[in-house]
Amino acid sequence: MPLRLVAPEWSLLVPPLIVLGTIVLLLAIDAVSERAARKTALPLALVGQLLALVSLATVDWGQGATTFGVSYRADWFALVVSLIALVSGILSVLVSAGYTESGLEPGVGLAEYLALLLFSVFGTMVVGAAGDLIVLLLGLEMSAVAVYALTAFARRRLTSVEGALKYFLLGAFASAILIYGMAWVYGLTGSIVLSDIAHTLRTVVTPGQPLDPALLLALLLLAVGLGFKIAAVPFHMWTPDAYQGAPTPVSAYMSVVPKVAGFAAVARVLVQALQPLSDQWAGLLGILALITMVYGNVVAIAQRDLKRMLGYSAIGHTGYMLAGLAAFTNGLAGDRSVGSVLFYLFAYAFMNIGAFGVIAWLQERGLGTTLDDVAGLAGRAPLAALTMAIFMLSLMGMPPLLGFYAKYYVILALIEAGQLWLAVAIVVMSAVSAFFYLRVVTQMYFQEPGGTWRPVRTPLLGLGLTLMAVATLALGLVSGPILELAQHWPAALT
Amino acid sequence: MTELSATHFLLLSAALFIIGMVGVLTRRNILVIFMCIELMLNAVNVSLIGFAWELHQLTGQVFALFVIAIAAAEAVVGLGIVMALTRRADTVDIDELRQLRE
Repeated sequence: MPLRLVAPEWSLLVPPLIVLGTIVLLLAIDAVSERAARKTALPLALVGQLLALVSLATVDWGQGATTFGVSYRADWFALVVSLIALVSGILSVLVSAGYTESGLEPGVGLAEYLALLLFSVFGTMVVGAAGDLIVLLLGLEMSAVAVYALTAFARRRLTSVEGALKYFLLGAFASAILIYGMAWVYGLTGSIVLSDIAHTLRTVVTPGQPLDPALLLALLLLAVGLGFKIAAVPFHMWTPDAYQGAPTPVSAYMSVVPKVAGFAAVARVLVQALQPLSDQWAGLLGILALITMVYGNVVAIAQRDLKRMLGYSAIGHTGYMLAGLAAFTNGLAGDRSVGSVLFYLFAYAFMNIGAFGVIAWLQERGLGTTLDDVAGLAGRAPLAALTMAIFMLSLMGMPPLLGFYAKYYVILALIEAGQLWLAVAIVVMSAVSAFFYLRVVTQMYFQEPGGTWRPVRTPLLGLGLTLMAVATLALGLVSGPILELAQHWPAALT
Repeated sequence: MTELSATHFLLLSAALFIIGMVGVLTRRNILVIFMCIELMLNAVNVSLIGFAWELHQLTGQVFALFVIAIAAAEAVVGLGIVMALTRRADTVDIDELRQLRE
């Protein structure tokens, strides 16, 4: 067979290419002149991502066009994942703005920091658009490896390195398991293309019959590997350590974007490629969802350190999102499962990056990260306290904030799929989570302040926090278009 | 004389993968854990090439090349983190790292 080379459809690749171009520019400027890099890095990273965000409008996502053969898919799912990744990336850059310069973490180079952050955003966009297992894996690893390095970025602080090491070792371990699962899927179906895998499996799997043990092994390996990436219990051990040890803006970033990459990979691998096995994996995800949300929310109660508490709370939210995936029924229009998870991730980006952003804001003013440090914040800085309260209430799921709508759509999907027990579990666990989220609020409003307060100006972080607070307050009420976009997923994945 | 079949590749691969996995779970030295992870990744490569050989395809071989690239990238970042660690803590024992606790 003669080898035929076809030029890729560049127009489909514009958004990720803009991000890649920004990274190259950042590194090039840094290599030429560190002083110039310090001045231009922040605006460059912001403008690059904003341009990429705008350029999403230039691609016709409804066509489901593919390029590089079928390895890169420009479909609805890719659009929503890119949208969430870029919005989170922009917000994370705003949160990082003052922190890296304020001397809190010695030895941090801003341009390299932003380049790594953008690499991770780029990787996440690639996972969203992956059409085969190799591209999916490359995106997932790019998104993760960059964050290992970011976690260790405050390398003179031992906790930062320790968190990074634990994150790295478990992440690499999980990757090996995941790739082993991919190898088995390839061996059993003879293809790495997601849609071809689904096609082949449809011919060999009969519903109601027990599964070929080799296929079951592949499914389990994939579930374990991906479970680590999204921090589902019992594969969550790295999460609290990594969140607590990392520089706070990195914690903000890694609580959202690598999770988006992880869930995008779960959707691409399980929902798209292994759809004929949905009887098996939907049940498995349901059980994982339940233990994940219970464990995360219950253990979070015992935490004094806010970053660690948010780490456990992030595990709890992973549980809610897994429940959304477990609501998968048939992948036809009207199946809300994946759409509700995408909307949840979108909502989660604003409230969680916001919550970490307020902690970074406090650290820049000389405070620590424990519950005692937020005591009496309402008296010192009423706006910051109000912002934090908004994020806490939204994470808890208080209507009419964004977090409420996120949970509402997941619960709706579960009820429509007839999984009432998971819907009830989400409601009960939200009530449990009220305990630790509201404790932050009472600390801020009803306690006396302690510690030293060092007033500084952080305009970009302030802008970011304002944006996220407003979005958390108002986006829920106008969430229609985004939800509609997310609900187009069956066109992409089935 | 027995001819080699895909099963032989898969058995070798499974054995290597399990050795690596047990190593990761039982050893306390960070570098040894890291080597075990590399062993697991190479076990996967043996599987991929075994499957490709059986299916008469190149795809699996190309996949293995990408896995090697990923392993290299992970090694760079991972060893960088270990370097930073030994400068701070002068230990490579995972159990001695317990600054981050409840």
